[in-house]
Amino acid sequence: MSLKLVRKADLIIVAVIIIAAAGFLLLKNYNSKEEKLIAEITVGGRLYETVDLSAAKEQSRYILDTDPQVVIMAENGQIWFEKSDCPDKVCVKSGKLKHKGDTAVCLPAKTIVTILGSDLDALTY
Amino acid sequence: MVKVSKKLHIAISVFLIAALISLCGCDSKPKGEQVLTFSAMDTMVTLKVTGDDSYDVITAINDFVVDYDFNVISRHSESSEISKINKEHKCPETSQLYAPLMKLLSVYQVSLGAYDFTLGNLSDLWGFGTGNEKIPEKEEIDKILASSGAGTLAYTNGDVTFAEGVEIDLGSAGKGMALDKIKEEYLQGSKTQRAVISLGGSILLYGEGEFTVGIADPENSAGSMAKLKVNECCVSTSGNYERYFEKDGVRYHHILDPKTGYPSDSDLVSVTVVSKDGTLSDALSTACFVLGSEDGQLLLQSYECEGVFILKDGTVIVTDGLRGKLEITNNKYELKADYES
Repeated sequence: MSLKLVRKADLIIVAVIIIAAAGFLLLKNYNSKEEKLIAEITVGGRLYETVDLSAAKEQSRYILDTDPQVVIMAENGQIWFEKSDCPDKVCVKSGKLKHKGDTAVCLPAKTIVTILGSDLDALTY
Repeated sequence: MVKVSKKLHIAISVFLIAALISLCGCDSKPKGEQVLTFSAMDTMVTLKVTGDDSYDVITAINDFVVDYDFNVISRHSESSEISKINKEHKCPETSQLYAPLMKLLSVYQVSLGAYDFTLGNLSDLWGFGTGNEKIPEKEEIDKILASSGAGTLAYTNGDVTFAEGVEIDLGSAGKGMALDKIKEEYLQGSKTQRAVISLGGSILLYGEGEFTVGIADPENSAGSMAKLKVNECCVSTSGNYERYFEKDGVRYHHILDPKTGYPSDSDLVSVTVVSKDGTLSDALSTACFVLGSEDGQLLLQSYECEGVFILKDGTVIVTDGLRGKLEITNNKYELKADYES
């Protein structure tokens, strides 16, 4: 009998694992390529709400009981500060968030809205 | 023969399962990454630190930022170093603010007065960010300009002294000054591999490798209009889109031209400056915004800094050192033909 280092069964196992790995990676990439936009609203560093903007075709309104009070709207894949009782209104002036990494902040209300999944290390403004 | 094959079989299976797990990215975050967001320095602060001692480093930086804001650079804190300096009209040579103020004085001189950090009273007169903004009377503006300005600073026995009308305001440089101290005192010498310190729009990118920084879209500052690839550096932006008020259809933004006392009216809507030095990146972005794209580029050359200038018409100019590093992601903006990579 010759010295066979690899049996047929070994090769089958190797092939199955490689196919499984490739299939998993393909599925993973396929999912990540979908333009799924998820926004996070945090208040004082704590998560207040997660909004699936891809699913939010209807208008949603979030009235936050912060001091000062802020109103956040989500509609048609976009989210924004609609109204704020803060003095400078920087949050409202920031405009609408629609791409991954877009971020708006209301400093007096300690509220941040951001769309997850950015490839940026930081945003300068 | 069978024994050898079995061992090999197990070895190959273990190797492939391990490879599969690592490929699936079940633990894609680098070990030891810490992220912290909080409000300080009149802005939102985000710290991201990666390294074996990242927890200790991020905690120390958090404490530093809060302390530096309240006890050193804030004009609104009565006990701060800058309040003391403004009250006594004197910055002693022993003050930790002496060296940064000298650096700002050089920017004032090299920019021929387009950058001035001594106009706190003028800024207060306009009331930006208070909710009580107003267009002051020209006489009020002229009165303040006549009695202030970095040109009135003098050296007395080694200390810097100034007249009563002068109010030093570090709003245009304090965040950059903090970035320099963070780098020197908390990151260099630590086990930090990589860190992104965002004090509002003033950012320190620390560590090896490339970083991607988004530049805010002046028309919709929640989003970015371009991606900029940089290595370790500090990045700061000045624009007319964040702190402003409108009256009779005219926008009055917070970056005042020291020559006129009114919001600067150059050809720019935004300038981003890249420098090894945080104090310089912060101060130069304001100076360039006031100077405009042509003189701004000259100013950056004299400090060996780089920049991205966004003009009112949507044209974008980059300095030589950033050619090929900027990718515009919003088609409202266009790189000026001569500046294409």
